[in-house]
Amino acid sequence: MKHVLGVSLGSSQRDHTVQVSMLGEEIELSRRGTDGDLNRAEQLIREHDGQVDAIGLGGIDVYFFARGERYVVRDGLRLMEAARVTPAVDGSGIKDTLERDAVQYLLHKTELLKPTTRVLMVSAVDRFGMAEAIVEIGCPIVFGDLIFSAGMPYPITTLDELADIARRILPEMAKMPFTMLYPTGKEQEKGGASERFHEYYDAADVIAGDWHFIRKYLPPRIDGKWILTNTTTAKDIAELRERGATHVVTTTPEMAGRSFGTNVIEAMIVALAGKRPEELGHAGYAEWLRRLHLEPRIENLQGGSAS
Amino acid sequence: MTNFTPDDIYAALDQFRSKVNENQRLRQMNRDWNRDIAVVAKDLPDVQAWIRMRAGEMDWERQHCADPHIVLTAPAEVLIGIFQGQRTPTEPYLDGSLTLRGSQEDVLRLDFVSLMIWGE
Repeated sequence: MKHVLGVSLGSSQRDHTVQVSMLGEEIELSRRGTDGDLNRAEQLIREHDGQVDAIGLGGIDVYFFARGERYVVRDGLRLMEAARVTPAVDGSGIKDTLERDAVQYLLHKTELLKPTTRVLMVSAVDRFGMAEAIVEIGCPIVFGDLIFSAGMPYPITTLDELADIARRILPEMAKMPFTMLYPTGKEQEKGGASERFHEYYDAADVIAGDWHFIRKYLPPRIDGKWILTNTTTAKDIAELRERGATHVVTTTPEMAGRSFGTNVIEAMIVALAGKRPEELGHAGYAEWLRRLHLEPRIENLQGGSAS
Repeated sequence: MTNFTPDDIYAALDQFRSKVNENQRLRQMNRDWNRDIAVVAKDLPDVQAWIRMRAGEMDWERQHCADPHIVLTAPAEVLIGIFQGQRTPTEPYLDGSLTLRGSQEDVLRLDFVSLMIWGE
């Protein structure tokens, strides 16, 4: 059996372990949250380095992207480098392909996404492939990177402006403690209690992007809207149903009642392939994604048809 | 000891105010951010500077700020470098030469302001 460990800066309340069978191979996927404690995450990685087949880094990014530029997140890199023997990945090796494919799937195989669909994408620098794919369709879109990471009431509406702002701030911001930029640990449990920024949710048909950002200012009612994200738990899904969301689409498949982050899926591919990420490369990952036939998971929350 | 004087800090603050207020996009970003910021120069105890952010506009006065939302403390050289755009706040913040007391969101916002003006 292959063993994949997901080490996350997120809440330990979301920990779980599942066993799955993929292409005839048994894999144990285990997720361990460290409640925002970077040192504990680093320690956990060191303890399991050489003991598991691959490590996924969750609740943190190692890279941000905008228009061909890549920005290295200092804390993320620190965690990645803590694994010296076992390959450690943050999901960025597959995210671009997986999330572009998910957008195309939703456009061509469902009634959910159309060129007129209004999209609030809570952050785009961690999902630039998804952002570009949605823009290419022609959807009116708001990128909430400044709203959700810095609390600034400034909707970005073009990829050009997103790239311009990213160029100004990300080289420096990526050096800051990641916990300042993104809800980690107990901060993840507080989401949905604020009354700020509801107007951006109200003006959208779909809320897309990182789940913890989506939840950060989630209004009590989001009737008729749907969510495009991942790493949701059964509790998250129940919460969205109660608030009136029609569908939840996750770019990663459901395994034992929840969708894993792209970091765990990428780590799973690395474990299955038995190769290091740099050996796999873009083409190698694309081939494995094709073989695994990963499609978005669409959950209808209100019992109607997917339209 | 420092070679800088309080007037050097005040001149840098004037420059910073001009840059903030002439940046229309930044004013839009900060339109909801009404904050009082006290500037403390570790090596120039005579410096009194109170930055006021109101509806996206910045002003400052040579006055003690009694109840600030944020307290910005650093050696004069660091403060001047940040206000004049010669250095970003990130490195001095991370190495401890610049301390920012306030809510995490306010601290982050102040960093954004500086980077939006000078970052490239």
